[in-house]
Amino acid sequence: MRELVIKVLENAPLTPNVFKMKFELPEKVEGLACGRFVNISTGDGGHLLRRPIAICEYTPDTVTICYQIKGEGTRIMSRVRPGETLSCVLPLGNGFALKEEEKKVALIGGGVGVFPMVSVLREYAGSGKNFFSYIGFRDKDAVCMEKVFKANSDRCAIVTDDGSYGEKTNAVAAFFADFEKAKPDVILSCGPVPMLRALKSGLCERGIKVPCFVSLEERMGCGIGACLVCVCHKTGGAENVRVCKDGPVFEIKEVEI
Amino acid sequence: MANLHIDICGVGFKNPVIAASGTFGFGKEFNEIYDISVLGGISTKGLTLEPRLGNPTPRIAEGHGVILNAVGLQNPGVERFLAEDLEFLKSKGTVIIANVAGKTLEDYAGICARLDGLADMIELNISCPNVKCGGMAFGIRPESVVQVTRAAKGGLKKTPLIVKLSPNVESIAVNAMAAQRGGADCVSLINTLTGMVIDIERRRPLIANNTGGVSGAGIKPIAVRMTYEVCRAVDIPVIGMGGITCAEDALEFIIAGASAVQVGTANFTDTLAMPKIIEGMNAWLDRHGIADINELKGTLTLNG
Repeated sequence: MRELVIKVLENAPLTPNVFKMKFELPEKVEGLACGRFVNISTGDGGHLLRRPIAICEYTPDTVTICYQIKGEGTRIMSRVRPGETLSCVLPLGNGFALKEEEKKVALIGGGVGVFPMVSVLREYAGSGKNFFSYIGFRDKDAVCMEKVFKANSDRCAIVTDDGSYGEKTNAVAAFFADFEKAKPDVILSCGPVPMLRALKSGLCERGIKVPCFVSLEERMGCGIGACLVCVCHKTGGAENVRVCKDGPVFEIKEVEI
Repeated sequence: MANLHIDICGVGFKNPVIAASGTFGFGKEFNEIYDISVLGGISTKGLTLEPRLGNPTPRIAEGHGVILNAVGLQNPGVERFLAEDLEFLKSKGTVIIANVAGKTLEDYAGICARLDGLADMIELNISCPNVKCGGMAFGIRPESVVQVTRAAKGGLKKTPLIVKLSPNVESIAVNAMAAQRGGADCVSLINTLTGMVIDIERRRPLIANNTGGVSGAGIKPIAVRMTYEVCRAVDIPVIGMGGITCAEDALEFIIAGASAVQVGTANFTDTLAMPKIIEGMNAWLDRHGIADINELKGTLTLNG
């Protein structure tokens, strides 16, 4: 975990309201991995909080993040030009880790939750694992990263809520529809809260015991585990976990979503 | 190299820069980024006798130049702090200020007694705006400030007591005098100002708790004014805070009369904010030919 001044190499729209930013690391950073995140400044002094954003891709020298324009802070971020610098704390959180014996991996991603799924595909490319991807977007305009999923998955469904692209369904429904054929050893997911809730209840109703890891999103303060702003309840509600430090990836049964 | 060493109530600080409660946990996370032994002191996450889960999320929001938080005193309880965190903090050789809160006078007396002689100082949180029973009830009226300070002081034989004052009151100077009357050895200010941010699409407050404590760069002029007023009103040492992001900000509080400062929200914006403030103070003093930070304290001259 380091605070570094990074140089922006690219910052351009991927869809009408999602931007892709690639930046250069000034020095070698240990621990970059799929499912971890960076906490990046917007570049505007009036915004005191950094924006926590999942790592989508990385090389030893660069990191790529994709972020949705949700408010003024991310709008300001979207105006940062190549060559400009931002302050960034990274890498943060625990990330996704696949066990050797987990060969068949289901990836369920919704909206901007697809980018951590891309990070998994990139990390394990050529590792001999079989990926089954169930990727959902709101509509055709929001569809992105399709090539990456199609090229790296044995089975792949790209769907939209309104049916304007692919089947009219959502990622979780597409996953359950294909579950018997895919029979994954492990499930990884990231997406909006209603999607993760549907996944949790669907697994429970069907009695599916396959391990399932989800990456959670929460408004953060420090991003490093000190301020206790971004917590969620552990199942049972008697204890909290920190999304930034103990997560953002949790076993789905371990936390209340 | 100017002297940054200060003394508050017989406790020696290597410099006047203290991590503000609630932004720094118990130091372990920031210590992964830099060696926290460079700090003058650390005020811990607010502790209560029993563990607390805090408020629902979202617990944080932003305004221009400020943030709002409503964590609601989530903490592991004083016993787990003593078992799991105090030794680590002590090993860092920085002043350990245990920030404490409670629901009743007995809670305050009890937690102070439990920490007496263990922490270097105790900071009484009677001004947490984010929980119904976070002591705010004690922090508003001067009479109850006296009462809760006396109760806390009753539990203390060795450790000096700081009372942290709320700005959401009629007169913070009057409340500072009340704390002094109740036996406080020191006061710190300001805690956060109560605020609200509304999501206009949902027509609901952004923070689950509806209101939150406003902190950050934007509140600094208010905090400096209040620090000045309190320094004039009491004889005990004052620790100033509110919106400090750089050495120059910190020096305003010292010139207004504060013995030391606390830095909170700036730790989120810049994880290295406090080491930079310490270095910047040193550089400023050297540039101005001032050999000792103590020479600067309370040197404010008002305009005609």
